[in-house]
Amino acid sequence: MSSEHHAHPTPRQYWMIAVILAVLTAIEVGMFYLDRALSLGALNAVILISLALLKFVIVVGWYMHLRFEKGTLNKFFTAGFILAGALYLVVLSALGVVAIRGG
Amino acid sequence: MTATAERQATTIFKRPSSTTGWVSWLTTVDHKKIGILYGYAAFFFFLIGGIEALLLRVQLAQANSEFLTAGAYNALFTMHGTTMVFLFIMPASAAFMNYLIPLMIGARDVAFPRLNALSWWIFFFGAIFLYSTFFFGTSLAPIGAEGVPGNLAPGGGPGSFNWLADSPDGGWFGYQPNAGPLYSPGTAMDYWALGLQIIGLASLISSINFIVTVLNMRAKGMRLLRMPVFVWMSTVVAFLLLFSLPIIAVALFMVTFDRQFGSLFFAASAGGDPILWQHLFWLFGHPEVYILILPAMGIVSEVLPVFSKKPLFGYSAVVFAGAAIAFLGFGVWAHHMFASGITPVAQAAFGLATMTIAIPTGIKIFNWLGTMWGGRIRFTPPMLFAIGFVAMFTIGGLSGVTHAVVPSDWQQTDTYYIVAHFHYVLFGGAVFGLFAGLYYWFPKLTGKVMNPRLGKTHFWMQFVGFNLTFAPMHWLGLQGMVRRTWKYAPEFGLEPWNVVVTIGAFVIALSILVFIYNWYHSRRHGEDSGLDPWDARTLEWSIPSPTPEYNFATPPVVTRLDHFWHMKYDEDAEGRAVRRDDADEVIARLEHDGNNPTEAIHLPNPSYFPLLLALGFPIIFYGIIYHTSAFGKALILIGAVISLSAAIGWGIEPLEEPHDEHVDEDERDKAVDKELVDE
Amino acid sequence: MSDVIHEAPAHHNEHEGVGVSHTKLGMWVFLSSEFLFFGALITNYLLYSNRGGFPGPYPAEIYDIPFTSVSSFVLLMSSLTMVLAHNALSRNDQNGTRTWLFATAALGSVFLGGQVFEFTEFIVEFDMKLSTNPAASAFYLLTGFHGTHVAIGVIMLLSLWGISRRQGSLSEKQGLNLELVGLYWHFVDIIWIVIFTVVYLLSLPPT
Repeated sequence: MSSEHHAHPTPRQYWMIAVILAVLTAIEVGMFYLDRALSLGALNAVILISLALLKFVIVVGWYMHLRFEKGTLNKFFTAGFILAGALYLVVLSALGVVAIRGG
Repeated sequence: MTATAERQATTIFKRPSSTTGWVSWLTTVDHKKIGILYGYAAFFFFLIGGIEALLLRVQLAQANSEFLTAGAYNALFTMHGTTMVFLFIMPASAAFMNYLIPLMIGARDVAFPRLNALSWWIFFFGAIFLYSTFFFGTSLAPIGAEGVPGNLAPGGGPGSFNWLADSPDGGWFGYQPNAGPLYSPGTAMDYWALGLQIIGLASLISSINFIVTVLNMRAKGMRLLRMPVFVWMSTVVAFLLLFSLPIIAVALFMVTFDRQFGSLFFAASAGGDPILWQHLFWLFGHPEVYILILPAMGIVSEVLPVFSKKPLFGYSAVVFAGAAIAFLGFGVWAHHMFASGITPVAQAAFGLATMTIAIPTGIKIFNWLGTMWGGRIRFTPPMLFAIGFVAMFTIGGLSGVTHAVVPSDWQQTDTYYIVAHFHYVLFGGAVFGLFAGLYYWFPKLTGKVMNPRLGKTHFWMQFVGFNLTFAPMHWLGLQGMVRRTWKYAPEFGLEPWNVVVTIGAFVIALSILVFIYNWYHSRRHGEDSGLDPWDARTLEWSIPSPTPEYNFATPPVVTRLDHFWHMKYDEDAEGRAVRRDDADEVIARLEHDGNNPTEAIHLPNPSYFPLLLALGFPIIFYGIIYHTSAFGKALILIGAVISLSAAIGWGIEPLEEPHDEHVDEDERDKAVDKELVDE
Repeated sequence: MSDVIHEAPAHHNEHEGVGVSHTKLGMWVFLSSEFLFFGALITNYLLYSNRGGFPGPYPAEIYDIPFTSVSSFVLLMSSLTMVLAHNALSRNDQNGTRTWLFATAALGSVFLGGQVFEFTEFIVEFDMKLSTNPAASAFYLLTGFHGTHVAIGVIMLLSLWGISRRQGSLSEKQGLNLELVGLYWHFVDIIWIVIFTVVYLLSLPPT
């Protein structure tokens, strides 16, 4: 069934990854309240977006096994992500919008 | 399993009788049959869209004409555009892709045959759903929207009840808020939005199918850069569809929610932003332009080399230019919006980006010219249409560059100059290319060649009619004649050229009648084509015509680009192609071997489930339009039950019936008989 | 999902390919296009979320961040149970597979329940309807379509679970289906990771 991949993480490692994801989520929520108290502005946005991207990469890389797959899949997936990001950023800036906290 | 393996070696397993007869067309999962279904459906809608265009032209042949009401005129240009884009060119391209991609890459079918059938049926029902607006659509206040004022008059214009006018009338681009609940009350625009949603789903599924097919099912040795250009262009189109359809899906959902459930996405007075619709629509709409033209470019890139007796000039340049057009095509959408109030920076950026598209397009045009240069050209009907494509597309491309110049575009926006431009690329381009393909691959379908004399008559009539129709639109537009307007005053002096345009439109219509006659006549009385009527280069011509159900008796192995050509031709000392002495023997052997598989060939079995699964969608969508009534809710439920049950049945049913256990006795005898005869 | 041309060695039709099964390649290609789908919905929300001057409330004024944090956590953990189900199957631990499949479906359902609760609260208590303002429209459309994706995932998970219960085990083909459902499930999760940050944590009400 899964002859094309090898050296997948063990259940133990999957649990470890879950712990990391949980911690990252906790930091995110913490940042939200910290920002309410201190008004960190753009810094808050940068940190929160970085954290979200980190979680994103971890889930895609380990849980979806993209790290262990053929490069073709990675290329398609990344292409879709980057294309969506680029196009919609242009749309938002053309419509004059930066609608996130501190932006 | 072992017992069967022995039997496989001695008999030819043929699937049960359901591969012929009308039921087979409902249940088929064969890419060739699905391609033919797409083709006929597309041609049917070509005729419908054409009739709509003729009605428009009759209206415009006279100043201040009263032939159509304003509402009917709006409805007709909306449906003409929608039909030609979504119900004609796209399915026509899908027809060629379905039929040809597996043959050109040496495969027996696409990667997901049942999904392929599902795509077709979703498209089919979506098209019926969209056109049912002529019977069920209204321009009265929609059921369900509260506080919507009634319409001015049925059809939104002067005049009494007019069933033509009770169809979608917001343009194929559905600009907001005009197409929203306030200014287009009634259900007609809901039919439009939901109909396109269904049709888009069909294209999304088939794009995934083609991508996987091309990536995973190429014959041994068929590396990516050995694929025919048509396959390349189809792959590029599949990616364009894959990435642009989700955008229009969201935009159409937003319209539907605005119209049906009271959301406020495009309601300017409540904070909605109509410009967002334009961005989303053209984010999809501009790649869509290349979705329409690239398959035709692929066809032409196959036809020109064959009838010039030369390889395609700069194969890899043509391939990369195609990919570059697609990539750049995603970055130029706002050039449709220069007059919509976008910032100067955006105008400059999108203007420049648009001009860069001329570079890969130019590369292709020079490659096509280079292919013909010094070739031994045969002016057969497919070649004439291909040359017509190159010439007309070049004119359309040049007028396109003039839109990239922003101040010039402001003058041209919403005039007939724009209409002239996109008909030169879409009719002069895509339609000429598609006809080139029809004449070229007709033998593949039928084993006959289309009558060349009638074919040439068709070409010249269409060519002259086309230019009579669309060339004068350039100057009409520059004189200020506006699009999408049902009347013009006599003192504008626009009438003479409009008469010419209308005459041209009828010449085109006549030329299409010649084509239809030729098609049906040649199917019966055409000359037998044999296996290789054109002295062709690509794999689909290395198997018998009409194509056997299993495509390739033995899976081909490819060693170079234009593999089939090199089976017939050697190079002499000066690099010129010399037909090999044994070329005729090679062809005779291919013909014999192609008709007589030496081993059992298992093909996926027909299935009812794609048809049933697709059937649920229009029923659900009718239900959404009438969702406030019990009737509508019942429809949603019924549709969901049909689709879900079909999905379960699909999941349980195997793609191929277990053919090992029993073979129908008659079938086996027939197979054995066939073998004996061939021995 | 078994929709693949049979590639038995007896047919000896070797193909050029990218070395990934048709279905898996198809699923990845499909998921890559989903970025454009959800991207449009998020863009839509970002455009309207703080466009002020229209009747409120705006979503960002009434978010219940602690509540949403918990349901986000639940969905995140369902990715863990999903990957554990896949892992159990690869070790042919059929009981483990069944348990983890059920756990994933259950966590998904909890997430959906949370969304139903959230919507109800917003509509009944705060009177923020789909038709209150464009920001509300965009919020419901985005989270609603995400919820629909989760619901479809739950149905697929429960079907696999049911099959496994009836047969006592999953066949090799159904195992491939489990992998595909898993990919889809994780994808829905990563979309929520983005939504949670961009739409909930970073969203500002109009000033």
